[in-house]
Amino acid sequence: MKKKMMSLVLTGVMAVSMVATAAPAMAAEGSATGDHTLSVFAWDANFNIPALKAAEADYQANVDPDFVLNIVEQSASSDVENAVTLAASSGDYSQLPDIVLFQDHYIQKYVADYPDAWVALDDIEIDWSDFGEEKLSYSTINDVHYGVPVDNGTAIFAYRVDLLEECGYTIDDLTGCSWDEFIEIGKKAYETTGKYLLSMDGSGNDLPYMLLQAEGASQFKDGEPYITENETMVQIIEKIVEMIQSNVLYLGNDWSDYTDQTIIGDMVAGVMNGNWIIPTIEQVPENSGKWEITTLPTLEGGKEGYASNGGSSLYITGNCQNVDLAKDFLAKTFGGSTATYDAALKDGGVITCCISAGQSDVYNEGVEYFNGQPIYTTIVEMGSHVIPVEQNDYHYTCRQYIGSAIQQILEGADVESALADAESQLRFAMGL
Amino acid sequence: MNKKKMGLVAKQNAAGWVFLAPASIMIFIMSFYPMVEAFITSFKTGSSANMQWADPITYNYTRMFQDKLFMTSVGNTFLYLLIQVPIMLVLAILLAQLLNNKDLKFKGVFRTCVFLPCATALVSYALIFKSLFATQGLVNSVFVSLGIFKENFNFLGTAWSAKMVIIIALIGRWTGYNMVFYLAGLQNIEYSVYEAAKIDGANGWKTFWGITVPLLRPVIIMTFIMSINGTLQLFDESVNLTKGGPANATITMSHYIYNNSFGQGVANFGYASAMAFFVFILVAILAVINLKVGDTRD
Repeated sequence: MKKKMMSLVLTGVMAVSMVATAAPAMAAEGSATGDHTLSVFAWDANFNIPALKAAEADYQANVDPDFVLNIVEQSASSDVENAVTLAASSGDYSQLPDIVLFQDHYIQKYVADYPDAWVALDDIEIDWSDFGEEKLSYSTINDVHYGVPVDNGTAIFAYRVDLLEECGYTIDDLTGCSWDEFIEIGKKAYETTGKYLLSMDGSGNDLPYMLLQAEGASQFKDGEPYITENETMVQIIEKIVEMIQSNVLYLGNDWSDYTDQTIIGDMVAGVMNGNWIIPTIEQVPENSGKWEITTLPTLEGGKEGYASNGGSSLYITGNCQNVDLAKDFLAKTFGGSTATYDAALKDGGVITCCISAGQSDVYNEGVEYFNGQPIYTTIVEMGSHVIPVEQNDYHYTCRQYIGSAIQQILEGADVESALADAESQLRFAMGL
Repeated sequence: MNKKKMGLVAKQNAAGWVFLAPASIMIFIMSFYPMVEAFITSFKTGSSANMQWADPITYNYTRMFQDKLFMTSVGNTFLYLLIQVPIMLVLAILLAQLLNNKDLKFKGVFRTCVFLPCATALVSYALIFKSLFATQGLVNSVFVSLGIFKENFNFLGTAWSAKMVIIIALIGRWTGYNMVFYLAGLQNIEYSVYEAAKIDGANGWKTFWGITVPLLRPVIIMTFIMSINGTLQLFDESVNLTKGGPANATITMSHYIYNNSFGQGVANFGYASAMAFFVFILVAILAVINLKVGDTRD
């Protein structure tokens, strides 16, 4: 009798756990026609999710009170990419939600690889000219819009003004300076304060890309790698290596090493990355009021560098049964609604690349952490100066090989051969 | 002439097949079918939604030999294999010999201590080593305060030291596992053999090489094959300890295969399958050599 009871209990537990694991997959299914519900995959509970909640509230208040946005939180952006890969590889799109948040640098390859997984937004009611041109260059494929921008990847250079002052400098000395001048100040900063003026993730090194963009150059030319013959690229790599060797730049071993050790661990006096790095900087409360932001240095100096890195947009999937509702929702929220963008900024720190929405009062408020500087409106303004450069499906593959090249140079290889190596491997990976 | 009636042997055979069937069917569906599919996939290329036969058909196989990163991963894997496996097996056999001592006190405690790392999950032990060897980690603090290092050294950010950390981690984790096999083997050796050797005047070193090693031979070969097989498929340490870094300097074959199939934005399943079959062939060749060398029957 006891045994029977035991087996019953065990079967029960198994049945419950099976149902439990099946449940989230059910929640992701697309909505039916005529419904008031849309589902969306997104990641980052402190950044993207509040932005989506803001959009839901905006649409409920101003368009459809019955509207429900079913946000299915994913643990990382790669989960969304894997979900699309899985659905497209198996040809079964039914597990995809109506809308996905997708990383800008990946979308071109995904649209090329899995055209059926996406819905073109050719007839959506959005004034595209109101958005940063550079941002749209990711989600526009063959002149067709596929995505609606959520955030803004404009790169900022944040400095600890208190530490700069200790070394006898101000943030103005670093605005519009050349990388050579930057290195001089960086050396002084390391000597005086023991802190690096810049840090980056050595495994996912975004510096070459951003530095190139600040010069208006790209790692690609006419769809092919443009590395060894790219004079700007070679100079930039040499500068990066010089920075590492003179203790101006510190390369973390991986992403968490970069954020947790170097930024939150207070190893640096400067942070340069896409502005989504701001919440990470703000995680050290005792440094409040000591930071300020500015633009990037350039090779020549005398002008300010503008770049962009990362960020994501919303895309309607091939599984969406209610495309009209999805388009309407996107158009009336992230398509330019100040209510959505103001709330997204307040709750999640998400900065828009929509130029008109970036002029609201909320955007013009000074931020205490950044010494009262109105950083948000500054960033939107900076974003409009970013020069669009040639993008490629193999952005991250390129980043990986250039990162390896930098590592090799640090271990003694010469710049030319390391970069030639990277270029040949990249060409190989691209099937050229 | 009732054909429903089966003989006793036939009945037992039938029962045997019935018992075998579920496991066999499962192995077929879960292992052999995917293997065949993977083999077919290894001749295809293109996006995973629309895979085409490669042109030429062996494209994925020839490609990997021109792929410098794959060759780096093969080199790394063999470096781990050549350094780690011998050290680990020698340590394991020595530990087993020590812990097999009849008069040793607290044997159970020691054996548990050595074996315990094996009971930890791969990911958690990798993360423990990662934090031990972090720039601000325990090892650095100890070395700096002892005055051995002048300043904190970035173990995982430098290629040679990152490889070293992976090898140390592997030895730390797998020595105890192999020791258990040797212990079991040692317990099968009659104590009287040792006594006889002692009477004949053999010292400890001579008994070890003259008795223990030859009698343990089958176990040694087995652990060798298992270690080689395990190291060739090394994945967790590369992924969790170093993420293959710095900049792919420590990546292993399996990790590179994983990156090619499930890495962000890639889904290069054809090429990944081809590389997986390359590893499969390597493991098979090494296992055959091992068995041939170890087989003394003819």
